[in-house]
Amino acid sequence: MATPLFEQLNTQAKLAVYAIQERALLSWNAVRFIFVRPFYPADVIQQMDSIGVDSLFIVVLTGFFTGMVLALQSSASLASFGETAMIGRLVTASMIRELGPVLAGLMVAGRVGSGIAAEIGSMRVTEQIDALNTLGTDPIKKLVTPRLIAALVMLPVLTVINDAVGIIGGNVISTLYVGVPSSIYWRTVWDQIASDGFTGRFIPNDFIQGLAKPFVFGGIIAITACYHGLNTTGGTEGVGQSTTRTVVVASISILVVDYFMTQLLLGVLNPR
Amino acid sequence: MSDDDEPTAEDQAFAGRVRRAIRDELAADKVEARKSQPPAMPRIPRPTPTGMTCSARRSSTPANVSPVIALERVSLSFERPVLEDVSLEIYPGETIVIVGESGTGKSTALKLILRLLVPDEGRVLIKGRDIVSLSFDEAMVVRQQMGMVFQGSALFDSMSVFENVAYPLREHTTMSDDEIDARVREKLQFVDLVPDDVMALLPAELSGGMKKRVGIARGLANNPEIMLYDEPTSGLDPLTTGTITRLIMKMQRELGVTSVVVSHDIRSANRMGTHIAVLAEHRIVFCGTPEEMAASEDRYIQDFLGGL
Repeated sequence: MATPLFEQLNTQAKLAVYAIQERALLSWNAVRFIFVRPFYPADVIQQMDSIGVDSLFIVVLTGFFTGMVLALQSSASLASFGETAMIGRLVTASMIRELGPVLAGLMVAGRVGSGIAAEIGSMRVTEQIDALNTLGTDPIKKLVTPRLIAALVMLPVLTVINDAVGIIGGNVISTLYVGVPSSIYWRTVWDQIASDGFTGRFIPNDFIQGLAKPFVFGGIIAITACYHGLNTTGGTEGVGQSTTRTVVVASISILVVDYFMTQLLLGVLNPR
Repeated sequence: MSDDDEPTAEDQAFAGRVRRAIRDELAADKVEARKSQPPAMPRIPRPTPTGMTCSARRSSTPANVSPVIALERVSLSFERPVLEDVSLEIYPGETIVIVGESGTGKSTALKLILRLLVPDEGRVLIKGRDIVSLSFDEAMVVRQQMGMVFQGSALFDSMSVFENVAYPLREHTTMSDDEIDARVREKLQFVDLVPDDVMALLPAELSGGMKKRVGIARGLANNPEIMLYDEPTSGLDPLTTGTITRLIMKMQRELGVTSVVVSHDIRSANRMGTHIAVLAEHRIVFCGTPEEMAASEDRYIQDFLGGL
């Protein structure tokens, strides 16, 4: 009986395409409303506080321990080549290019994405979204756009802090545990930053790669969370499902997009 | 305890057989008990629903006055029909209460008036203007002429009572802060709340009845010509139900707003409605004044009045 199976696959494929289309529409409207009055600056600042400042602690903690463990792991490998002085380069490259953006993205997806989905989902099931509509306010403009702006701005900021704290964490281990002097560590850090060349003479290519990613990840987290929140059905149980779905979809999307962005950016910034 | 006291595999198998036998016995008893019960009372058959125009209008209304809200032969279905060939006219200052069993499309009618939904067929007119073909932004403007009170009040959790009531004023008017403050106080007083006592409170700190009143105040903030209520008295105690009903009557009396109320509460419907429409099987099967409804000899209407 191939027909029912085919029909099921066909339905699933249509649903998947529909979901992508809905996300794209939501993204487009949220971006469009950035430039349309009325603006909600107070909401944007409140969301920046919620997404950025409130996430600072977990991001700093994640960055510090990641930097330390990177230094620890690489010291063992580099020691076999007698190149422990290169710890700074390894930690810096790993943090700025990959671990800083991805870990900040994953932490924020877990902490903030779930919060946004739960908040908007609760508003949906308690008819507050309908109330916004009937009061003549577009919920996308009032709820999604401020969160999108806040995430687009704050995720790169969090990533920079994550990178910096991670490199400092690496310095702590390389100095106290491996025995590489701080001056050498920081010189190798700069060597790494300068090694991949500059765009416009002054902007290191590593920074471009390290900041383009969190910008995109911020968008993924905000849109995924708002999409699942706005489409919540089924009361409080539905809110729980939206929250879970947001964390899973946003985290997987971050990891998949990270790969393709890396390939794209390496091609653009370091053409072989 | 000696080894002889330990249950053997045979003992356990025997115990399992006994448990299964008892369970089967009990299940058989239940089946017998069900068979011996008298059959459920057959439902009184409904009249065959026919499409009709329900007109909420007094005999004293001049002929040249046109309805504020009109649904013309509206049909809507999702996976199954929700409304079929529904026609409704509500004239200025009238309060129509739409009653009916759950799932008959009562709340859908409100959403059509608000243009949160668009009908598959038919027209929805607000003050003579067809709102079905409006764009999303144009519909937003039309909605500003209406106040909506939700079943669960739908107050914004993160805002205080003052901010909730002031919200439509901040969004759509150029009123100064002092004017907004005065308007919010006026509306809170209208719904019998003491402004200074409640303005700073969050919705979570209010009782169900107070939430409902703040919801009405928010709906009224823009001085709308049309008020829509979705189950305004559901989940409230009888005293608060009476208070909310009186409040809706007061709005009709003092402000002359045109109202559409969706309700299960037939007693409140009789008090507040100038007209009552009964929805059954996605159509209007009765339309008239509360007195006409009480006098109706239709068996479905009688059954409906008796069952609620």
